[in-house]
Amino acid sequence: MQLTEEEQRILDGACGEPQRIALNVLAKLGDAYGADRMIEISSAHIVASSYQIAGEAGIDIYSQLVEQGAKVKVRTTCDPGSIDFARWQLFKTPVDYAERQIKIAELLGRLGVLPTWTCTPYTTFNVPRYGEDLGWSESSAVIFANSVIGARTNRLAAYVDVCAALVGRVPRFGLHLPECRRGDVLFELAPDIGDDFADHFFPVLGYLIGQRVGDRIPVIAGIRQATFDQLKAFGAAAAASGSVALYHMVGITPEARTLDEAFAGRAPAERILVGRHDIARTLEQMNTGEAGEVDIVGLGCPHASIDQMRRYAVLLRGKRVRAGTELWICANTVVEDMARRMGYVEAIEAAGAKLMIGTCHNDCPLGAWNFRRLATDSGKFAYYTPTTVGTQCVFASTEACIDAAVTGRIAPE
Amino acid sequence: MVSNQPFGFWQGIDPTTGAVIDKRHDLCGTSLKGKAFFFPYGRGSTGTPGIFLEAVRNGCAPAAIVNVRSEPMIVMCALLAEAFFKVQIPIVDGLPSNPLEIVRTGDRVRINGTTGAIDVLGR
Repeated sequence: MQLTEEEQRILDGACGEPQRIALNVLAKLGDAYGADRMIEISSAHIVASSYQIAGEAGIDIYSQLVEQGAKVKVRTTCDPGSIDFARWQLFKTPVDYAERQIKIAELLGRLGVLPTWTCTPYTTFNVPRYGEDLGWSESSAVIFANSVIGARTNRLAAYVDVCAALVGRVPRFGLHLPECRRGDVLFELAPDIGDDFADHFFPVLGYLIGQRVGDRIPVIAGIRQATFDQLKAFGAAAAASGSVALYHMVGITPEARTLDEAFAGRAPAERILVGRHDIARTLEQMNTGEAGEVDIVGLGCPHASIDQMRRYAVLLRGKRVRAGTELWICANTVVEDMARRMGYVEAIEAAGAKLMIGTCHNDCPLGAWNFRRLATDSGKFAYYTPTTVGTQCVFASTEACIDAAVTGRIAPE
Repeated sequence: MVSNQPFGFWQGIDPTTGAVIDKRHDLCGTSLKGKAFFFPYGRGSTGTPGIFLEAVRNGCAPAAIVNVRSEPMIVMCALLAEAFFKVQIPIVDGLPSNPLEIVRTGDRVRINGTTGAIDVLGR
């Protein structure tokens, strides 16, 4: 890689040990993937903020960096932690576990990381612009920034994101290059699907496309409109079931105003027609649980937006979560604060649901609960729950999930 | 240790023992600690280095990794192990012939991370 004079000075240790280590990692990564040089980034988003991911190795690394006086060089936000810092006792988190998470919070604070504790940093203080280069991890945030906003970031890994934050740079390869952002595979919706899509259609379609496309770039044609939340749910599912970091939705996402633009004039390498039957089969794969009693309902994966909080409040008004069933709604503090001002939090809590702020079911130790069957409206959650929480998982619409929390029973979509 | 299945360290390995814990994987229950681990390609969440470095810290990581095609997550794990824990784990990929068809579980191998050369010393 061609390094600038300043970068060479960093690599020689003139700017301290943390920056030297960080740039060394990034330069080797760039060499491995054929980068020609470094590029400056406008922000970072780091994923090893939960004790579940960072563990003792993370505490060692962050302690070492703090001792060496490290500070992030660009705006840096962090992914959810492994506890709700305000009410972890409510979720039966063991005390020693919570203390390790609080230690990580202290260390990240000293590095200058904004304590956003969210997988949706773009709903807080980290809102990228079109065309900006970023150093982000968290697969659902990466796919949103690339696809919906048109910013540019590879899927960085835990701690590589920290390296990017410490030097404000990443190696220039992959999705930073316009020629690597062109679509590979065309997904067309068959006429039998219709065009009146329910919300839960989007995570199912994302899950299906992630499975079929792997790490190539899918282009989806045939969707006339999609909301912020639908795109968020779609991308999170595709990034979980595949390794998708960028998708184009023709007429909806900014680099795909036309089909031709999405493929940059080339022909698709593959065309896949998605019909009703494919959607039904994907739903079967997402449901690892059968109809019956449900003991936990999980909403807000990725973290709920203010529109979703309003919807939960409306759906829960005048209802009561059944005894023996838990309804947990995950969000970040920014959305929580606004939802509280709007009275949504009061309505949600009056119904017996719990807000889970700054964390989520996937990041928390839930052994003490002995959950058996979880219901969720999230494709990402449906993908990970059988291993992370160890329960059966039933995927259903938001309405059906809230209904399940009230009745204690669920039927798959 | 040779497997024809893709492998994800996240949810795939117990970092306190090095044992494979992914119930869907054919190596489930066996230990990767100190082994040369051959598998086609990595799969995984961006949290992968979290678990991998925890295994490195505990001395339970594989000693070397050989892939048909290494995805960036695995490469980043090795770079971080060296940067933060001074542990070198060679990663080799893109070999002219498929190593999974030549090397078998139980073989003793020598791996040169610089040249990519792999010698089978004994079976």
